[in-house]
Amino acid sequence: MSGCYSGGGPAHSVDGGGGPAMLAGAPAVSYAIPRIGGGTDSVAAHHGSIVLMNFWATWCPPCQEEMPALETLYRHDRAHGLVVLGIDQGESAAKAAAFAKAHGVTFPILVDADQRYATSYVSVGLPTTVVVGRDGHVVKGIDGAQTLAQFQALVGPLLAAK
Amino acid sequence: MNARATAIAFALLAIVLTVAQDVYPARDWYHAWQYTAILGVALLVMAVHAWRAWRGLEGPHGKRIALALAGAVAVGVAGLLSGLIGPDNVTVFGTPGTVTPVPDLGAAAFFAPADPGTLPRGDATVTLRRRDAPATEIGRRPTPVGLWVVFTQLRPAAYIEVRNERGERLTITQPNNPSFLSPVILFRQQQQIHDRAFPLDTFAVPALGRIVHVLYFSPADLAALPHDPATPLPTEPGAILSVTDEAGAQQGITLAPSGRETDIAGMRVTLTLGTYPVLEAASAPQPFVMLAGTVLFLIAGIWSAVLRLRCAPLRIKEEY
Repeated sequence: MSGCYSGGGPAHSVDGGGGPAMLAGAPAVSYAIPRIGGGTDSVAAHHGSIVLMNFWATWCPPCQEEMPALETLYRHDRAHGLVVLGIDQGESAAKAAAFAKAHGVTFPILVDADQRYATSYVSVGLPTTVVVGRDGHVVKGIDGAQTLAQFQALVGPLLAAK
Repeated sequence: MNARATAIAFALLAIVLTVAQDVYPARDWYHAWQYTAILGVALLVMAVHAWRAWRGLEGPHGKRIALALAGAVAVGVAGLLSGLIGPDNVTVFGTPGTVTPVPDLGAAAFFAPADPGTLPRGDATVTLRRRDAPATEIGRRPTPVGLWVVFTQLRPAAYIEVRNERGERLTITQPNNPSFLSPVILFRQQQQIHDRAFPLDTFAVPALGRIVHVLYFSPADLAALPHDPATPLPTEPGAILSVTDEAGAQQGITLAPSGRETDIAGMRVTLTLGTYPVLEAASAPQPFVMLAGTVLFLIAGIWSAVLRLRCAPLRIKEEY
């Protein structure tokens, strides 16, 4: 596992302890924020689907390394009901859009200029992945970059369970 | 002053000292030996007088006086327990938009999201959620929650927005704080300058490899700095920004007024300064004991006083 902690390492003494993992079972927090390409989007807009949120930023090397795996996962599993939302943290839409184009990202990219998603989901670094179940509750929160196999192990059982 | 009046005066003192824990909570004085000693003496005086009154050694209506004093003793003991051996005060810093567990209260505190408009208004809320109890919005007025009194206090906070020289917005992080990706800093540290402590916090701009230390100055602090007497006194808070690179090399230092963009070290930084609540919890006397004891003291005391007034003419006759 690797991630961006911006000097000094991750702050693991999170209020309440444990980072995004501690949110498992909690109702998913949702904010409507701009989506690259126009309009707004949110987690709540996909209630009933399995939603994989990935918090990232253009300056974060592990986030860049993780993007191809996310893109492959999206292309393979969207037909099975998986929604992937890449949520850029704190940057301009233009910057996020240029990054997505350069890396061939086709899944929806949301721009969270106020960093509300990462704050609410207690991110202790970037990237952070949060999976929300069909019932709108957090299934799992993971700190750090994941491989395609890890993503598939995470969402596979959820997609299989109808 | 006779023994009965002394005991009643101590009873009133014990009740006032105990009720004060609810009305003016979180004072260190409640845990000090002086507070304990005063309550202890009051309890001793009341207990001795109540015992003598119950046995009829302190004049007429002794049992009713004893009951009244028993009520005051119960209140005083509750005050002693929450003061002397009660848990220390708890201060909970919550990142805006997050839920923070508060194990001492068996509750979770939801700290409302904050944006650049919220902090100058200072109207962000904290909501306490407990199992099997309705959510309670906590304000600056003390609110009893079980064996605690909770309230909020406003402390300095800043919403941060950073752009590069092309005007593109950049991510900010807080590597030293639990709220790693929050754009709101809560000034959890302090910097001592001469004999004064100023609120201090730090954030990072990873895209540019910058670390920014922020020192908060209230309008009064700014007015105390050397300045041209012809210029009007500041009415808004400000902050000193000190920027280093990730290796710690100094990149710039400047004074940043609230709400205005400041250029420093290749960044355009806008700090919107204001306040955000922290949750304070202080141990409080057992509410049922305090209420029942006070009611018993009042009812038995009034009953005794009324009977005494009624019987007064009889006693005068008996003297003849």
